Amino acid sequence: MGDIVLRARGVTKSYGQDETRVTALRGASFDIRRGEFVLVVGASGSGKTTLLNMIGLLSSPTSGRVIIEGVDTTRLGSSGMAAFRNRRLGFVAQFANLLVDLTILENVMLPRQIAGGSWARGGRPRRDALELLRSVGLEAQAAQRANKVSGGQAQRAAIARGLINRPSIVLADEPTGNLDSVSSESVVRLMKDTAKRLNQTFVVVTHDKEYFGEVDRVITVSDGRVYEEEEDGQRAPGPGGRQGGAAAAATATVAPTTARQRGVLP
Amino acid sequence: MGYRPRLAKRMLFNRRGSLIGAVLAVTIGILVIHVNFVIFQGLYDAIVRDIGDYRTGDIIITDEDSFITRSDLAVTSWFERNPSVEAVTPRLSASAEINITKGGQLIEETRVPIVGVDPYRDIRASTVHTTVSEGSYVFARNSVVLGTNVARDLGGAAVGDSVKIMIVDRWGEEQVRRLVVSGITSSPGGQGFDYTVVMHIDTLRDMMAREGETGSFMVKMADKGQSAAVRDLFLRSFPGDDFVAETIEEASEEQLQGFRSGIAMINMIGYFGMMSSAFAIVTIQMMIVNGKTREIGILRALGARRRDVLVIFIMQGMLIGAIGAGVGTTAGLSYTFYAKETKMSFNNSLPLEVSYNWTKILQTALTSFALAVVASLYPSYRATKLVPVEAMRAV
Repeated sequence: MGDIVLRARGVTKSYGQDETRVTALRGASFDIRRGEFVLVVGASGSGKTTLLNMIGLLSSPTSGRVIIEGVDTTRLGSSGMAAFRNRRLGFVAQFANLLVDLTILENVMLPRQIAGGSWARGGRPRRDALELLRSVGLEAQAAQRANKVSGGQAQRAAIARGLINRPSIVLADEPTGNLDSVSSESVVRLMKDTAKRLNQTFVVVTHDKEYFGEVDRVITVSDGRVYEEEEDGQRAPGPGGRQGGAAAAATATVAPTTARQRGVLP
Repeated sequence: MGYRPRLAKRMLFNRRGSLIGAVLAVTIGILVIHVNFVIFQGLYDAIVRDIGDYRTGDIIITDEDSFITRSDLAVTSWFERNPSVEAVTPRLSASAEINITKGGQLIEETRVPIVGVDPYRDIRASTVHTTVSEGSYVFARNSVVLGTNVARDLGGAAVGDSVKIMIVDRWGEEQVRRLVVSGITSSPGGQGFDYTVVMHIDTLRDMMAREGETGSFMVKMADKGQSAAVRDLFLRSFPGDDFVAETIEEASEEQLQGFRSGIAMINMIGYFGMMSSAFAIVTIQMMIVNGKTREIGILRALGARRRDVLVIFIMQGMLIGAIGAGVGTTAGLSYTFYAKETKMSFNNSLPLEVSYNWTKILQTALTSFALAVVASLYPSYRATKLVPVEAMRAV
């Protein structure tokens, strides 16, 4: 595995104030290396999507740090975060979230356009987008409006869109949650193949762990706390647990001595 | 084309109902202004036209006292030497008592306005002769043209009837003439001679004992833009006389002031209509923003900045404004064209003076465009305030 792409340290997210305060994520600390395929699992309401939003810079943590490619993203302003999301992160959501006013090709090109690319025929963004669509098997649907394709095809297009800017990490939130089993398997295969072929890091929040089979790592979120799954099915705290702090206090009781070392900071 | 204008256009054009609603709002605002302009400005211009054509010309020359003593020839010759002047005619006014015997019954009218005209010059400088609906204009010293209302008040006086006219001359003596009705004049709009009697100026001078004197000179300009210059030149050329020279606007100022206030008020109503259009655009764009919450969230997640979202929705406002201004102006110009070609008249009588005021047309189009853009600012601002995570949940 490659170098560390993402470091989360003591990431906490709370909503509300005083008596109405709810903590959705409690001191999450973990590392992700380049090329890893990581699943984030947990019960509904456990904090998986909150965790994804934190590392996807869609929401700011109440405390803690998210460092991607050596950049402390918690120090970025609104525009800086937007630019960072555009260049370094790819998103795949449960409902594909394509813009229905655009064609499949335009949707795939969109992150490149936001980064300042052109729509021009024969231009690099268009060539790259068509290449990606070819790789996800959607070349024939390139000119179709996004609302004219099936859920599985839309999700494949969303994956292509997530890859267009060659991001550091692709974040997928329940990518199979809205698909039938055939489409789900196809989408999972596509993501895993892409990860292998491009050495692309994927962080996938899912309820459907069984579709994914063997993956590099599984992170479990429970009651806002982050654990790493051991080979024997036990849970272990992330590196924050070893380094102390809220996460350590919260997770030390589960499997304090058997934490996998992969991805742990020195 | 960058992604922002493309998205702005697609988002708008894929919601045809909203687009049509917003464009209609702008169109109606502009159309109201154009219709107001055609009708009320047309009415105003028609009144100005009639005052000029029937009573004052483009310049009217009077005397500070009451009568001009300089000869007709001297004044008309001076004006007719100027290439900007088309024609000049003298006029004289008085008040008379007039009666007629119809079916053995004497019908009498008092305080009837009398206008004396030089028939040969008058038909060049004025269009009163075109308002003669029966018979012909004054052609001899013993002929008279009755306004249609005067003829009616005289029991239905008709062409060929004989009327007796009594005027008190400058010495206080009653002067009576029996004249033959040569024509009846009728014109809509209230500026014509429907309540007046028109006779030969020499006959009137004779009756008033004002030989060679004139009440006023009507000057019709070939180049109306030179009116003020010609007026000033005339006054400088006759420094020893007590002439008063006024352009039509100056002479009719009091009469037109009321109309102008009315037009200003109607225009205000039109602009309020336009403001209502702006509110309609705010509402429609808010609907678009609310309907596109998820898309805004996706855009933000993909890296679009708040500024980009703002630009997309302001561009939509610009599109609405541009299309609305285009459609509205086209509709307004079509109405103006229709009004002009069909010689639209006010109250089915007074033909409106329909004109294309390009400055006002452009001003109206630009104002509505600007209002549409301004109206899009708040919805655009609201769009930027959507939090990506929250926005993406709106499925």
